[in-house]
Amino acid sequence: MKKITLLFIPIAAVISVAITLNGCVASQTVTAKSGTQLWGENCGRCHNSPSSSDFSGAQWEVIGTHMKLRANLTEDETNKIIAFFKSAQ
Amino acid sequence: MKTSSKYLVIAALLLSSIANKTTAQDSTQTEKNQKILMALPGNTKMLLTGVAWFGFHANMNDTIKTNVKNSFNTYGFSPMFLWKLSDKMFFESEIEINNGEMELEYAKISYKLNKFMTVGAGRMLTPFGAYGERWEPVHIEKFPNSHLRPNDDLLPDDTHLYWGAIMGIDVRGGIPLGSAKMNYSMFVSNGPLLSKDENGRPTGVVQYENLLDENNNNKEVGGRIGILPFSNSSLEIGFSGKHGLAGDIGDTVYENIGATATAVDFSYLKSIEAIKSTISFRGQYNTLTVDKANYYLTDSTTYTFDNTMKNYYAQFSIRPSMAHGKCIKKTELMFRYSSMALPKDAIWCPKDKNGKGGIITRMDIGLCYWLNWRSGLRFAYEITTMPDGTKQNQLLALLAVGL
Ligand code: HEC
Repeated sequence: MKKITLLFIPIAAVISVAITLNGCVASQTVTAKSGTQLWGENCGRCHNSPSSSDFSGAQWEVIGTHMKLRANLTEDETNKIIAFFKSAQ
Repeated sequence: MKTSSKYLVIAALLLSSIANKTTAQDSTQTEKNQKILMALPGNTKMLLTGVAWFGFHANMNDTIKTNVKNSFNTYGFSPMFLWKLSDKMFFESEIEINNGEMELEYAKISYKLNKFMTVGAGRMLTPFGAYGERWEPVHIEKFPNSHLRPNDDLLPDDTHLYWGAIMGIDVRGGIPLGSAKMNYSMFVSNGPLLSKDENGRPTGVVQYENLLDENNNNKEVGGRIGILPFSNSSLEIGFSGKHGLAGDIGDTVYENIGATATAVDFSYLKSIEAIKSTISFRGQYNTLTVDKANYYLTDSTTYTFDNTMKNYYAQFSIRPSMAHGKCIKKTELMFRYSSMALPKDAIWCPKDKNGKGGIITRMDIGLCYWLNWRSGLRFAYEITTMPDGTKQNQLLALLAVGL
């Protein structure tokens, strides 16, 4: 029991730090966001974020689908991010 | 389709797309053409990518003077093949060649059922926790090695990872929830197996690497649910669970012994202008509980124990990504703590000075110099403490290059 309590301390700490740091961000529905913004918020969560020039338009389609599956991104945000990459080529 | 007719179709499509260039339907026409082109054999979208690595380690407190203290100890290369076969169909595969040994990490075909659900089949990474599926790949892990896990060299030979690869099927997807998001993955796969000693008797250790040699008709079932409460997706918390029977079919004593695993993972990433840096927290807590049974102590005596393994790790890193210095913004400083508690009364659990089972802990401080978004030169100083107090200190270095 003691160890479980110990585990929840860091989790609770991270959540409280996160809530405090996010306090100043106006909440916006995810579906209303642009591809650029979604790229900035999502593509650096697990690894450093790649930039649009790292791959070609066709490659971004393959990568987009791969990341949608691996990271369980929503369909809408994936499509918007792919469109952003293609337009920024 | 014959090659000649295929070229005709391609030529026609190219001509029509050129002819349409100035019209308002430009993009829709191009999209249509692309769809037709993709349906032709040989025109699918494919990407070959991967990672290569080369590592060094030095033992800093080796008391046995004759042991080799340092060596270039690891090299490898993982090509990854990705095919987008159509709007609905996707294939991904990775071959890992680690220190000369080759293994097919995963080979998975996925089919999109609708916006919120894709079904997958094949050999895949277990959707359990976040580390195995998301943070372990060599070009993603920031440290030169993984944290302390149930397959570490310091642990008894056959304690195994319980979230490696599986053979089975899964469904997964992401769901928007206003200013939040959630995602899910659920799987059914071949299940675990009770490890046996040299006399063929179970020891209470469960292993998960019997990908094809299924030992009973029960299938393991499990999954993960991820919640991203903030609209900027900076925080994700995941809850995972799985259960399967581990006993051999027809084994009257152990047939119904089941193994249940749970995990909680979290990740948080934030760029803070005031310190011109990006901070990241990550961690995962796992438990594996095997149903109670009697195991052999000697040929004639048996014993039983509370068969639960618990391990966790937490990691913090900071990178001055918004700083002006060219080198400093590519440098990331990391801290990591891991702990592993094997079932303390099992005879195979490492013991403390009084002969009681105890906890192994590991602490790392590390530095990564990023050469690009997925290549980096990493260093770590690592201190592992065994239950009896003995320490193993190591210096590790790894060059990982994304391909
Ligand atoms: C939840 C974690 C996660 C998120 C979020 C994520 N990725 Fe990835 N990404 C991965 C993993 C894991 C791999 C490595 C796959 C492997 O080696 O098996 C990867 C690999 C890649 C690769 C290498 C090629 C490939 O497809 O494997 C690219 C490019 C990439 N990601 C781009 C992106 C982009 C763009 C986004 C934003 C839409 C993104 N990633 C978001 C986890 C993530």
